[in-house]
Amino acid sequence: MKILVPFKRVPDPGSSSPYGMSEARPWIINPFDEIAIEEALRIRERGEAREVVGVTIAPSAAEEQIRAALAMGLDRALRVDDRRELDPYAVARILLAVVRQEKPDLVLMGKQAVDDDANQVGQMLAGLLNWPQATFVSKIEFLNGGQRAQCTRETDRGLEVIAVNLPAVVTTDLRLNEPRYVSLPGLMKARRRPIELLTCQQLAVEVQPRTTVAATSPAPRRSAGLKVESVEDLLVRLRQHEKVL
Amino acid sequence: MDFTWSKEQTELLDAVQRFASQRLKANVIESDRNDCFNLEDWKACGQFGIQGLPAPVEYGGLGMDALTTVGALERLGYACKDNGLLFSINAHLWTVVMPLITAGTEQQKRKYLPGLCNGTLIGANAMSEPNSGSDAFSLSTTAQKAGAKYVLNGSKTFVTNGPVGDLFAVYATVDKSKGAHGVSGFLVERNTPGLVIARKLEKMGLRTSPMAELYLEDCEVPAENLLGTEGGGSFLFTRSMTWERGCILASAVGSMQRLLETCVRYANTRKQFGQPIGKFQHVAGKIVDMKLRLETCRLLLYRGAWLRTQGKSGFLEASLAKLHISDCWVKTCEDALQIHGGYGYMVEYEIERELRDALGSRLYSGTSEIQRNLIASLLGL
Amino acid sequence: MIQTLVILEHDGHCVKRASLSAVALARQLGGSYALGVLGSGVAEIADSVRSFGASVVLVADHPALAEPRADCYAAVIAETARQRGASTVVGTSSTFTKDILPRVAALLDAPMLSDVMAVEIKDGVPCYQRPLSAGSLCATVKLQGDVRVLTARGTAFHPPSPNGAPSPVEPIAFDAASLPNGTQFVSRERSTSTRPDLTEARVVVSGGRPLKDKETFERLIGGLADALGGAVGATRAAVDAGMAPNACQVGQTGTVVAPELYIAVGVSGAIQHLAGIQDSRVIVAINRDPDAPIFQMANYGLVGDLHALVPRLIEAVRA
Repeated sequence: MKILVPFKRVPDPGSSSPYGMSEARPWIINPFDEIAIEEALRIRERGEAREVVGVTIAPSAAEEQIRAALAMGLDRALRVDDRRELDPYAVARILLAVVRQEKPDLVLMGKQAVDDDANQVGQMLAGLLNWPQATFVSKIEFLNGGQRAQCTRETDRGLEVIAVNLPAVVTTDLRLNEPRYVSLPGLMKARRRPIELLTCQQLAVEVQPRTTVAATSPAPRRSAGLKVESVEDLLVRLRQHEKVL
Repeated sequence: MDFTWSKEQTELLDAVQRFASQRLKANVIESDRNDCFNLEDWKACGQFGIQGLPAPVEYGGLGMDALTTVGALERLGYACKDNGLLFSINAHLWTVVMPLITAGTEQQKRKYLPGLCNGTLIGANAMSEPNSGSDAFSLSTTAQKAGAKYVLNGSKTFVTNGPVGDLFAVYATVDKSKGAHGVSGFLVERNTPGLVIARKLEKMGLRTSPMAELYLEDCEVPAENLLGTEGGGSFLFTRSMTWERGCILASAVGSMQRLLETCVRYANTRKQFGQPIGKFQHVAGKIVDMKLRLETCRLLLYRGAWLRTQGKSGFLEASLAKLHISDCWVKTCEDALQIHGGYGYMVEYEIERELRDALGSRLYSGTSEIQRNLIASLLGL
Repeated sequence: MIQTLVILEHDGHCVKRASLSAVALARQLGGSYALGVLGSGVAEIADSVRSFGASVVLVADHPALAEPRADCYAAVIAETARQRGASTVVGTSSTFTKDILPRVAALLDAPMLSDVMAVEIKDGVPCYQRPLSAGSLCATVKLQGDVRVLTARGTAFHPPSPNGAPSPVEPIAFDAASLPNGTQFVSRERSTSTRPDLTEARVVVSGGRPLKDKETFERLIGGLADALGGAVGATRAAVDAGMAPNACQVGQTGTVVAPELYIAVGVSGAIQHLAGIQDSRVIVAINRDPDAPIFQMANYGLVGDLHALVPRLIEAVRA
């Protein structure tokens, strides 16, 4: 089995280090995509896959994150050079072209990126490919010698189990696994490994994002209220002041 | 003078910090209270590559230069609160890994370095004895040559990593009349008959770093485990001391950064008499001094390491760094405690533990008094 | 010809109330709208939504649609949108719509926006507002093209009350035999909970890691929720630790709620959790740590040991 793992670099949500990392904005691999990379590596380590290829659509500055992904254990890493703000559909169309070139049996990726929380690309890609999809997956097992994947999905209604014929697109949820740490030796070895460069032109895909962000503003923030001294005091406030009980 | 880190260095240092802040989050209050060594975290550090930072790549290390090494250790100290774990890692690095690199034979390196570098082998140092601490080379443990082996007899104390060590660097004398020139280093494996790991020592601070007494009772060590040359032990020891003194307090600098931030946060949020305590000059002044100390420590630390990357010995600078950083770390911990008032005295705020940990730094790797003596003599006095 | 196709969610018995929020969005977009119901044996469900002002209620009722398999549902929905000339397909954001609607968008060659919180029509062009960066930012977005797919954040749109003349019900024409067959439904865990749905409850009581274990979580959080007739929520940490099922997870990557009253017990207030509760009317936090971030956005904070406070609160509520 060949697994393609699309991954995205996102601004590090938890960063505020006095050591001010490499650039003004520290970046990390989207945590859900990291989980996908980890799962793909485990599938390969079990002997159920022979190759794990990572792909990201990003400018050259993403090299650090790509190397971190290589250091985790990817067999190959591809970068589609594009520095535009792409919307999910544009991303899905570019990935479609990559899938046609790489011909994986499974596309495994994070369910959403933590910067925009769109949760669309995997499903769109599956639709474009007309492949089955399994989203928000917390467990994945292969049946029939790798011809089908049985996936446990995390839904609002609880856990659901479905089976999809391969090739398929699977998106990962939080509890699928805990990604390994990139070791320093891994990181240093990854420095010498090539990152294959692709362009939209080479892939014969032309996309224009159709989403325009007209403005962003800080969301209205709630302010701190007051501290109550006791359970009784709290209930008085909720019953009489807020009238919510 | 270019004070910037290169892109590669920054990538590595950031990776170390991220690893430490995400992975090394054990409950240190518990471990400190119970005197427990965190083997899980030691192993995680080993797999990550910490225990092999300066070792050559062909033996399983990362081949990092002195400057990148101290940078990595500083980040480690910033992101990991377990000073004992870091102390154990430092002891392992400077008393076993580094001497092996500088003076080991090819066989010794191939045999031990890979395991030491990935943390599967824990190195421990047996130099000090009940009657020889600062006066290191007046040690009494003897090593008698007997055919293809040496027989060691004596006792060692303050053996860091003793209770968990797999490979011990033991210093003994082949000829007491020769004084320092009789001292020789030996690599002794844990289960060697005659190597007795005795009682565990309970310390004031760095409690998560295990320490024991050691007895050598007709301990037979194969001749090929002589580290360096016969009688060359003091030279070996002094040389590895430069690395040790120059690096062992790098993580303390990271700790000081963390304490500074903690104090700034506290001073801005804790209100008394209607305003944040950071507005009071006594408090602000202490924090300013913490910052000043931090920056001077950093400069000394990096300059000493930089000299070593330039092929200079950096012996004086290592000693200055060790002396200064230890004093500053203690003072910074005291200030942090004072700034936090009563809360600083409480175990759960983890500041009192930092102070207990920091106090040891004026004692190990040569006491502050010894450092002053050394520096004085290097200044020609 | 209808402007907007609204996809409704149901559990086989009745329509999920939150999914009606999408109708409110459809109304704001203007023009006529149809409601879409898919499933097997859903005639009664279709009937129950006839009074929400739709031009028509469209039903795809077939055994092949008994379970919401994304490939089949998306195919039917896309075909329906095409047949009816709909330029917008909407649904309320949930795992159901998140799974299916992006696929619909791809089939319709349309851009999609998730979690729309508000829409303003300026010079005939809709401007949508949606959250970014775990809810810390609000983006105003425009879409190009003739067709679009949207999901509405349920907490931002009030489900309409039923009134008006009943809409006609029409079957959706589709060829069941040509539906994709690459997905097989295996099983779903049965929830035996009698508690209200997280997105529908007036009151939500959530617990975090300090609840220690499943039994304590159920006793204290479940207990308080029951005393208040509310739903149970949990932080990611609590779900990871096995104290609560994943369906209870509240937050950026779980469920977003906006109840009248949200009580957070032993929840420190990680930004990802706060992203899921910021539109609640009243937030109460109970935590041992006076500096926990949650106190920065809670209307009322009670500092203390939850193991002592929550049982007292349950008792006082019942009194």
